Order: sequence, then structure tokens, then C-alpha cells
Amino acid sequence: MYAIIVYDVGVERVSKICSFLRCFLSWVQNSVFEGELTESQLMRIKEGIKEIIDKNNDSVRIYIMRSKDVFKMELIGIEKADTGPFI
Amino acid sequence: MLLSQALFTGTQVNYYIVCPTKLWLFTHQLSMEASSEYVEIGKFIHEKSYSRERKDVIIDEKIGIDFIRDGDKLIICEIKKSKRIEKAHRYQLYYYLYYLRKIKGIENVEGRILYPTQREIEVIEFNEEISREIEKIMEEIRKIISLDEPPKPSRKSYCKKCAYFEFCWV
Amino acid sequence: MKKNFYILRNGKLIRKGNTIYFIYEKSEEKVFSAEIDGEEMEVETEDISDKQEYEKRVLPIEQISSLFIYGRVSLTSGVISFLSKNNIPVHFFGYYGNYESTLMPKEMLLSGEMHIKQAMHYISQDKRVFIAKRFVEGSAQNILRNLEYYQREGKDLQEEISYITNASFSIENCKDVSQLLALEGAIRSKYYSSFNKILKSFEFDERTRQPPENPLNAMISFGNSLLYATVIKQIYHTQLDQTISFLHEPSERRFSLALDISEIFKPLLVDRIIFKLVNKDIIGEDHFVKELNSCLLNNKGKEIFLREYDEKLQTTIKHRDLGRNVSYERLIYLECLKLCKHFLGIKDYKPFVIWW
Repeated sequence: MYAIIVYDVGVERVSKICSFLRCFLSWVQNSVFEGELTESQLMRIKEGIKEIIDKNNDSVRIYIMRSKDVFKMELIGIEKADTGPFI
Repeated sequence: MLLSQALFTGTQVNYYIVCPTKLWLFTHQLSMEASSEYVEIGKFIHEKSYSRERKDVIIDEKIGIDFIRDGDKLIICEIKKSKRIEKAHRYQLYYYLYYLRKIKGIENVEGRILYPTQREIEVIEFNEEISREIEKIMEEIRKIISLDEPPKPSRKSYCKKCAYFEFCWV
Repeated sequence: MKKNFYILRNGKLIRKGNTIYFIYEKSEEKVFSAEIDGEEMEVETEDISDKQEYEKRVLPIEQISSLFIYGRVSLTSGVISFLSKNNIPVHFFGYYGNYESTLMPKEMLLSGEMHIKQAMHYISQDKRVFIAKRFVEGSAQNILRNLEYYQREGKDLQEEISYITNASFSIENCKDVSQLLALEGAIRSKYYSSFNKILKSFEFDERTRQPPENPLNAMISFGNSLLYATVIKQIYHTQLDQTISFLHEPSERRFSLALDISEIFKPLLVDRIIFKLVNKDIIGEDHFVKELNSCLLNNKGKEIFLREYDEKLQTTIKHRDLGRNVSYERLIYLECLKLCKHFLGIKDYKPFVIWW
């Protein structure tokens, strides 16, 4: 599956959630991560997020799609990060 | 029955019910589990549920129980993902109960299978008929694992979710 | 799904947070040209990942299947143990794109029984020759698939096809491994000589290695090294012993079983890429560096090849026996499983032959 994760969390938790998500997905721009995931990885991500955030104040949205092919992304402006496998 | 003969793992009993081919391969250190997504999910559920309990109690180096609750009765608990191969889970616990009662002499013990994702609990009772069945199964396991080659696999509905699927059918 | 990452730049890998960062100098060109004795980036103890003059790329640890390193890269000991813990092999390649080594994770699947049975198939002359024959057969059949494809496309390859078809009939008559190796060599050189008819540019001339002397040889060597590393990784996921081989001598390389298995997959995973890159004008003279007596892909050329290769590995095909889609990379793993089954006496080994 393909997932897009968007978060809006308290300042003191921003870097925590960001470095947690870096283990699983690619950073595409501020507060947005994307990438291919397996079911077990998604389970671990959800569990990890729950441990980090303050459930009464923070908000994390996970968009889950069967694959990258089911949606179209249009970019306006610049690409903030390179996510390809050739470095 | 002699103590030394009783020592199989619960997983072996489970695999005997699931598939003799899997039992043979697993016993001969031919595991495929590292790359299976289903195994990963199972591991995650095992780690994350009942996190307050003291997990993975090992008895006599062979019997690994997910966790044990001690009260007026000893309750041994196994955490499982789905009821797809319910019968195998049940026999795994029957075997633990057999071992604790017949070999360790602990009478006041009961088993439970916990399905955290379905929020279901199954209570496992033990009786003499099951005891005889377990002894028969142990005899069968001994026969299967001492074969020179693994038994030919037979196609079952749950083959597709098994870590050995490719090995058996390629 | 995990994927391979390919590092062409010079820089260093560090562990930060719970993942891996690749740090490189901003001033460097996107595609850096490595020199034989180029300086490595200094391994500093301080964290340079946030400094102005460096660029960083975060590699999500959970997404990495393996790393292929073509640049000059320093690794900290923290990174080495972290990659090992996460079961990620790192393959290193030299100046010519030649395979140098693999940093293998410490966890391994081991089975004493498999080890002994694999060795028994090597020790027995008959058993060894049986398996060696299968490798030559698989290689010849897949070569024929490629030639037949271009024959249908209108190239006149009848002579090569009948030569290789006849040669493959005589595989069974070979008495020992040296005869098989000679036959395999003859098939390959006939096949390579057909490249001039298949390809619309570049001359083949003859096969040259270490160093390759012209662009075609450069691509063949580059691709074969890449495939060799890919096969090593797949063998690693089984209980097979990397060093016990059948067609090649076990002493030939560190991981000689990978040499055997590679033979079967070269036509699908290396040669077809070369045909496509050349015939579709994706790669040309300006993607090579020519030196006195050698020729190699420059970094732009390497990136083009790697991109094509990575896509190829991920291409899927419906497997007839399994009834599910498998990637070309997975086909190599399945080949390893078939060898396991052969050693255990479950099913005689039949090599993979392109069936589509």
C-alpha cells in the first residue's frame, strides 16, 4: 500500500514525530511523509505515533491507498526533497 | 512416558496440526519466516498486546508460553492473530496443559487463547481423552520428523498465507 | 515494499535518530566522477548533517532492501552495526563498476542438514555434473529466447540459433564439468558474436574483462557485477552455502554459487537491458569514458543502467506454479529454493527458463 502522513502537533513534539517517521517513509515537505508500506509497517507506525503525540491536542492524518497508481499528484512550485533510489 | 520423550515445542505440535511438511522443515532448521509479512504481523500483535504481562515464559528450555496468570488457578495464555487455524492453536495449548499436568504434576491449570484483534477469548479445558490424543500426536510427530525427506505437501486453503508457500509449490 | 538504494556520489553514511543519513558535499556535481585513488571524505566524529556546506539524504531504514555503493563512501561503525541489525547487506563496487565486496549482516539462516546435503551434491561427481548441466541448460535456453525474439523482429540470427540449439543438445553428452564449461563458453561467444546483428550501434569485437575495452564490454561487465551482487543477496535469504558451487569451482570466488546462478539470469536481467539501452538510443558514446586501454560507463551512464536494472528487478510476472505475481528479483530467490529442494531430495532441479 501507499501512505501519505500529514501531521499537526505541538512544537515540542515536532522533531520527535519527524525523526520517527524518517525510519519508515520519505520526507516530502514540512509535516508530510510519503511512501510504500506493508501492513505490519503501518501497524507499527500507528502504534509509534500514538506513543508520541498528545491525543488531546495533536492531529495526524494517514491517507492510505492501494498503490501509488490510484492517485495523481500535481506539484506547484518546487520539489522540496529527492526521494528516488539513485543518490 | 519418559520425561525425555515428551519434549517437543508447542510450535511443533501446532505445525503438526497445520501441516506435516511445515513440521518437518521447521524441525530441520529450514525456516523461511524471515521474509514473511504474515509472520511480521503476528510478531507485532504478540509484542503489543497484553504489554503489562510478563511475556514469554520458558519451561524446561522447550515449552515457551506467551504469558502465565497466577491466581487460585494457573492460567496459561497464548496470543494469536486470527482463528483461521484455530484447531492448531487449541492443540498447542492442550500440549502445554498435558506437559504441566502429566510431567510437572500441576493439576490446577487452565488454558486460554487470546485473539486481541477480534477481542475474543477461548477457554481450553483438559481431560483424559485429550491426554491420550496428545500422546498419539507426539508419537506421530516423532515419526514425521525422523523421515529422511519432508512429507509431500498437500494444498490447503491457508497455504497462500504460509511462509513456506513458495518453497512447497515452486 | 523494501527497495534497493544506489549511491553514486562520494560522501559518508552515518546513523542518526533511528535511521541512516547519507551526507555529501553540496559543491559536488549531482553525478560525481570517482577517481581510482580519490580521497575519501574524512570521517568526523562531530555531527555534520546540519552544516551548510553539506547536503543530506535520509534513507528510511525500514525501506532499505540493500545498498549498492559506487561512489567513495565512508561508513561509521555505528552505521555498520545498525545495517547489520536490520539485515541490510551493502554491496561495494570498484572504479570499473566491478564487484568488490559485500558487507553481510551477521544474522544468517543456517541448517546443518542443508549444508551437508549441498556438499554431498558437490562431492559426488555425478550429482555435481547433473546440477552443472542444469545451469548450462538454463543459460542456453534463455539465450535462445533472446535470439528468437530478435529473429521474429526481422534480424537474421538463424545461424546462431541453430548453433546454440545444437550445442544445447550436446549438454547431456558432457562427461565432466570442464567439458561443460567449454561448451558454455562456446555458446556464450557465439551469442556475443550475434550482438553486432542485434544492436544498431556499437561494435562487439571480442569479450574483454578487467578492464573492458569497449562500450559493450563495459556494459556487460557492469551488468554482470550488479547481477552477481543481487544473486548473493537472494542466496543469503536461504540456508544455501554461498561458497559451494557446481559449474564454477568453489575456489573461483568468495561467493561462487552466485556465479552459477547468475548464468541463468544474465540473458533476462543484463543482456536485455543492453539491447534496449542501445537500440532505443538511451545510451550513447557520451556515456562512456575511454582511457588508454579501457572503457567504462561514466556516472551518468551508470545511473541510466542502474535505473533500467532496478526497474527490471521490480517487473512482475504471473508465476504458473505459484499462481501469483512475482518480481524478476523474486525469481532468483525461487531459483535458490528450487536448489534447496533438489539438495533435500524433494524435487529434481529444473532451471528457470523465460516462459513468457
